[in-house]
Amino acid sequence: MEVGKMSVVLLVEDDPGDQKLMRYALSQQELQSHLEIVGTGEEALDYLERSAEEGSSICRPHLILLDLNMPGIGGKEFLRRVKHDPRFFDIPVVIVSTSDAAGDIQDSYKMKAAGYIQKCPSPEDLRRVVQKLVRYWFATSTLVKNNTSMAGCR
Amino acid sequence: MDRYKAAVILLVEDDIGDQKLTKQALCGDRVGNELNIVNSGEKALEYLEKSKRNEPSCPMPDLILLDLNMPGMGGKSLLKQFRDDPLLNLIPVVILTTSDSDRDVLESFQLQAAGYVQKPANLDGFRQTMKDLSDYWFVICKRVEYDHDSVAVGAGAS
Repeated sequence: MEVGKMSVVLLVEDDPGDQKLMRYALSQQELQSHLEIVGTGEEALDYLERSAEEGSSICRPHLILLDLNMPGIGGKEFLRRVKHDPRFFDIPVVIVSTSDAAGDIQDSYKMKAAGYIQKCPSPEDLRRVVQKLVRYWFATSTLVKNNTSMAGCR
Repeated sequence: MDRYKAAVILLVEDDIGDQKLTKQALCGDRVGNELNIVNSGEKALEYLEKSKRNEPSCPMPDLILLDLNMPGMGGKSLLKQFRDDPLLNLIPVVILTTSDSDRDVLESFQLQAAGYVQKPANLDGFRQTMKDLSDYWFVICKRVEYDHDSVAVGAGAS
């Protein structure tokens, strides 16, 4: 992993317990990361809009982790909108859901999710899963360069 | 959790040395992956058409590893072909290339590649890269499952 490079992850998740678990799991990795958390698809779209404004100090995410079942537009509609927006459709979106329903998995890949992970209830299991996710996305794969000012990312 | 589920992988790669390295790295004795290799975009489409017809020699891949620079139809053209196909667009496609050009990275993700991996120069690097790739796609990620008519029907195997 490139040392000194900040990796920006946007977590779209309405459950405060799951938010906390993911924050813990990411903090345990050898990755200099900035985790931004929003609770709904609408808030996530708003976040992306603001990140795209000229001179914005909001960090454009390198990777989006997306829950499916949320109030409001929900994960699938958010995914559909992001993947139809030329400003954002190059951002990989990984589904992190409790659901292992065949239809959810199929719909997500059809809408170009870049992975589908089932939530783990235990912090230790989640840490191990996130370790593999982080190694794949931030050590093995090259991501699109983030040209946003990193001033807002601490 | 953390259980490795053997997968069908389609490698689209024209370089024989890289084919061999990928095979060594992905199909060690620890795992029962099935790696099918084609050397051009055109051959990949032929393979996938056979997969759709449920020909046993060409099982539907769980993952496609795609080189960008090949004679004839290159990787990006192939990605474009997948976009409008309701079955093929379910398959994650990971770019595996020597190119580190920002433009290639951006265009690949715009074409909905599910990762962009630069080929490591040596076998150890290749092994580590393929291990990380396998841990993500075949250990922690759920997969679409295909029935005998090659129509996607379900989720990752238990």
